[in-house]
Amino acid sequence: MLKEELLIVEDLWKFIDGKPVLKGITFDVSRGETKVILGPSGAGKSTLLRCINLLVVPDRGRIIFDGEDVLKRRDIHNVRSKMGFVFQHFNLFSHMTALENVMLGLVKVKKMPKHEAEKKAKEALMAVGIAEELWNRYPAQLSGGQQQRVAIARALAMEPKLILFDEPTSALDPELIWEVLNVMERLAKAKMTMIVVTHEIGFAMRVASEVMFLDDGMILERGPPEQVILNPCNERVKRFMDRMKYVYSLDTG
Amino acid sequence: MASNTPEIPWWLSKVLEVMWQNFVQYVPIILSALSNTLILAFFSFGLATVLGIVMAFAEVFTSKTILIIVSWVARVLRGVPLILSIFLVFYGLPKLGLTLPPLYAAILGIAIVDAGYQEQIFRGAIKAVSNRQLEAAYSLGLTRASAFLYVVLPQAFRIALPSWINDFTIVLKDTSIAYAIGVVEMFTQAIHVAQVIMDYMWPLVFVALIYLAICYPLSMLSNYLHGKLKMMGMLGSGV
Ligand SMILES: Nc1ncnc2c1ncn2[C@@H]1O[C@H](COP(=O)(O)OP(=O)(O)OP(=O)(O)O)[C@@H](O)[C@H]1O
Ligand SMILES: [Mg+2]
Repeated sequence: MLKEELLIVEDLWKFIDGKPVLKGITFDVSRGETKVILGPSGAGKSTLLRCINLLVVPDRGRIIFDGEDVLKRRDIHNVRSKMGFVFQHFNLFSHMTALENVMLGLVKVKKMPKHEAEKKAKEALMAVGIAEELWNRYPAQLSGGQQQRVAIARALAMEPKLILFDEPTSALDPELIWEVLNVMERLAKAKMTMIVVTHEIGFAMRVASEVMFLDDGMILERGPPEQVILNPCNERVKRFMDRMKYVYSLDTG
Repeated sequence: MASNTPEIPWWLSKVLEVMWQNFVQYVPIILSALSNTLILAFFSFGLATVLGIVMAFAEVFTSKTILIIVSWVARVLRGVPLILSIFLVFYGLPKLGLTLPPLYAAILGIAIVDAGYQEQIFRGAIKAVSNRQLEAAYSLGLTRASAFLYVVLPQAFRIALPSWINDFTIVLKDTSIAYAIGVVEMFTQAIHVAQVIMDYMWPLVFVALIYLAICYPLSMLSNYLHGKLKMMGMLGSGV
């Protein structure tokens, strides 16, 4: 029987230029869960996500992913291949078409034969609503929303156990935000395990199983979205949420 | 010819015409040396490209010490006047027991200096590949080697392309310095013809036009590729 926790983060610390950016973060993520991380700019949200897939190596603490202590492993790339990462600026490979972007990991990491990888990549693109006429376009020929959906397909095609999203919609025009959030909501409903850093509190209200509020490298408050977003206990969190509700015109009565 | 143009006095146009007629019979002779110019250009440029890429790779992929040494070497190479480099190879190397025929000496002399410039082109291109592209590759589980092979290098070569083509046009024109050690390339031949017909203008204008005819389309191509790269978002800030 699989353990329920897919990811356990224990007492995670990260110092950048001698300054603590993460100060003993501890939380876990169950299989099929969507965890949303909120918090002000500079709180350490990106650093936390990047520590989890080891783009940044933490200074202290443990990360147990799928039953394994990832900091003890030397083949970091194998750990990463089981974890998707969706970036704020999409980071699609600019010299490859949409289809090639999705195929690269399948062919070079999963060592799939080309035709099989192509079939799989096309399925992934379809799943995020990227139609056939866009498959051979280069990233620069796609809208931001399309690029981000291709980036999600690229992560999804690898059949990751967990996908990390770092502000996936904050570089998008409002109209395009919806199409990306919509894809993410469907993933959540399909029980994909996700950690999402976002300012979209509407999305958090709908899909988050738990919301964590991060500030100054610490988790100030955590709980169901109704609590953290609508009725936070912590004063700092409350102030932040009041502003967010104003920005997003979320009427809470 | 300019014989109908009213501003030029009849006698001047007559002189020009006679000079042209004198010259025109030598055109095939000058053109016959074009092959040597192209050989000089291709081989010295090719050699410089290999050296430049090797230096750039050494700087990016090996240790800090090597980076310092190689970038210092490249800077020295760029600082050597071309004629000095060619003379060193042609007149200097025989003292060390290596005597090269003029054509080879010129190829090596030009390549040595150009390698310094190409090191700059390729190192800059590798550095210009956005760090975000690298992170995306890592996030898929690509190893360091695969990420460089499938993401960084293909982009670096595309980024380098416009400058690399421009550099070729510079090398092509630089081959004329081989005149100084007696390589019979196009410029040398034009000078010889000029001395025979006692007219420098037509031969020199003629070879200038040939250089231009080769360089101009290449520099258009370079501009076009630059625009294309920009459009594809590959010439970002390098973040
Ligand atoms: N590479 C770096 N070099 C220097 N400082 C860094 C670096 N990465 C992060 N920091 C610092 O660490 C702190 C946390 O940064 P991080 O990017 O994790 O915040 P964030 O919560 O993601 O913010 P944002 O909402 O702006 O994305 C900030 O103070 C930032 O300046
Ligand atoms: Mg961030």
